[in-house]
Amino acid sequence: MLDPEVYLIKLSAFSRMLRLEGLAVGTAETADACRILLSLGFEDRDRVKTALRTVYAKSREEQRIFDRTFDGFFLPEEAMRRQAMEHARRESEIEQGRMEAERDLQLNGRPLDLSHEQREVYAAMSEEARAGLRAFMERYRESAERNPDLYNNFIHSVFARSIMEQQMMMEDAALGCEELDPDAGLMFRDVSSFQDAEIPRAIELIRRIAQQINGELSAKRRRNALSGALDFRRTIRRGLETGGSLYHLCYHRRRQRRRNLVLLCDVSGSMLQFSEFVLRFMQSLNSVSDSSRCFLFSEEMIEADPFSLQNMDRFRSYVRESGVYGKGTNLGAALEALCELKPAPLGAATTLLILSDTKTIDQPRATRALLEAKRMAGQLIFLNPIPESRWPYLRSTQSVASVCTMLSCNTLHALRDACKRLA
Amino acid sequence: MNLEQLKAKMDEVHYIYDDTLATVLTVALQLGRPLLIEGAAGVGKTEVAKVMAHALGRELVRLQCYEGLDEGKALYEWNYQKQLLSIQINAGAQSRDELTRDLFSDEYLLERPLLKSIRSEESVVLLIDEIDKADEEFEAFLLELLSEMQVSIPEVGTIRARSIPFVVLTSNRARPLSEALRRRCAYLYIEYPDLEKELAILRAKLPHVDDRLCVQVALAVKKLRDNEAILKKPSIAETLDWAAALDALGVRELTPDALRQTAGFVLKNPEDVRLIQSVAEDEAPHDHTCSCGGHCHA
Repeated sequence: MLDPEVYLIKLSAFSRMLRLEGLAVGTAETADACRILLSLGFEDRDRVKTALRTVYAKSREEQRIFDRTFDGFFLPEEAMRRQAMEHARRESEIEQGRMEAERDLQLNGRPLDLSHEQREVYAAMSEEARAGLRAFMERYRESAERNPDLYNNFIHSVFARSIMEQQMMMEDAALGCEELDPDAGLMFRDVSSFQDAEIPRAIELIRRIAQQINGELSAKRRRNALSGALDFRRTIRRGLETGGSLYHLCYHRRRQRRRNLVLLCDVSGSMLQFSEFVLRFMQSLNSVSDSSRCFLFSEEMIEADPFSLQNMDRFRSYVRESGVYGKGTNLGAALEALCELKPAPLGAATTLLILSDTKTIDQPRATRALLEAKRMAGQLIFLNPIPESRWPYLRSTQSVASVCTMLSCNTLHALRDACKRLA
Repeated sequence: MNLEQLKAKMDEVHYIYDDTLATVLTVALQLGRPLLIEGAAGVGKTEVAKVMAHALGRELVRLQCYEGLDEGKALYEWNYQKQLLSIQINAGAQSRDELTRDLFSDEYLLERPLLKSIRSEESVVLLIDEIDKADEEFEAFLLELLSEMQVSIPEVGTIRARSIPFVVLTSNRARPLSEALRRRCAYLYIEYPDLEKELAILRAKLPHVDDRLCVQVALAVKKLRDNEAILKKPSIAETLDWAAALDALGVRELTPDALRQTAGFVLKNPEDVRLIQSVAEDEAPHDHTCSCGGHCHA
């Protein structure tokens, strides 16, 4: 058996590593781990892993992080050497990529005006994409030398756009976490990229998330319900149990009124999948609202049959048969129709939730209608399936975001955060 | 208690376990830490506490959590009626100070599960079931007990544990538990059992049921759990109920008809019951050409 001191040194380093991975590891955990190692020894690697996981990881998510860190830390010597070589090779590739990027990103002997982050993204681009940009630069090099004022800006804007597109692709790729944790992969991936085979798993995930949100909202509501005023009637009645002595004081509970929810869902072509996922979420969240009404729109607006929402399997066919599916988007017309409905669905106790990508015909009309709807509803939230990083480049999104609260919901994770704000 | 001793004890009570579970339980016992068990409903979280009580030969003290659970239901309450009677009887006989002191003595203290578990002379197994159903305030209240093994009663003072209970907390993850509570516990996540383990459980719990039927039931349940369209996955208890129901009906072969008749024992949603039809087709009688007598062919 090894000297206990050796265990302690190794475990301290391991604890530090877990902390870097985001686990809250204190000295108590390290001490516990040391006690366990001294008792178990290190002969059976799997057993040690299980035992240390019990001490260090306090949730299923942490268990996954722990497993990954343990496998990387407690390596057999051969694997460690292999990994070090692989790491060195990767580092040298990255360094080479950086040097090539520095060479490529020069125009007329001067570096292009790109940030450090943009240069890093360029270095990470595929050789094919970089070759394309190099060829583009070569084509315009002579022109740029002749007329730098005219061509420099043009070349710079093409590079900046290509790099931005690459960055968006990297953001959408869920960074390879799918392999490590399939659920996390689904949580952080763009909803529009879900394959048909993944949809049942996504639905199950939505059900679980909704259950958690319901629990959290219910607890929050209970906490807020106590008004502090003494309930005399209940206190006196309760006092009868103790011969008239008022041992148990009972307090009034403030009735918490939940808001009425009005959903306005864009079902024009590409938006259908988003709308379906959001509606599933809303259906599962029984703690969010007392009542809800759902309207679907593209160029015109209709109210969704509540039965079709109860059974989400029929939702797609219902939308297709409704006549609004697959047309263009006219947000302004839909909102005007909603505001003119009698009896009015919008009121002070109403939260109006609009699900749309903001791409609409007649933008000024849409903005005017949004302001009117905002005035009529108690709360207006716009759920946008376009990632927040792209908003600055879309004029329609900026215009809508300037008049109401806009939340990104391109992933299930973003959708979960948005739903928490509804309560 | 070391790993081998614990395994021997669990074998004695015919509990089916895997190495992970045995190791985690040993670690929690050796460190004297509460064990927080999470997992889907029906994977056997509560059963772990019951088995530990059996295996360790200790009493099981159970606290079922629910919304609004407070100290009065979980820790202690004064017996007000008895105190009032005592005041009236002893009003003239005792001085005021004596009377007050008497009123807050053990005689008038009603022990609830938490207090009972730490005042017991013999160490017990304390099961705090479905902690995620309790309020966050109650969770915070538990911290003192779980870390210091003591509780504070304003009229009496701090009560330290006479014996250290083995504490098991279970949660279905209906809401996230606080970091503070998690940090004080050893952690275990239980998945649904694999085919081999489920079969072993069926054989151990229902030894009289035909082995071929057990294999078919275990296979069918595995398929149901793997089917992402099934909303409510069958629990282990439901598997056992289903096998017992089939046996009670004299079924020796899991035919589509038998599946239809007994679907309610394993699936509890009308949508899920409809789906069982497709599983029934897959599980339709097929010839066992080998001579294994119906062992697992998964």
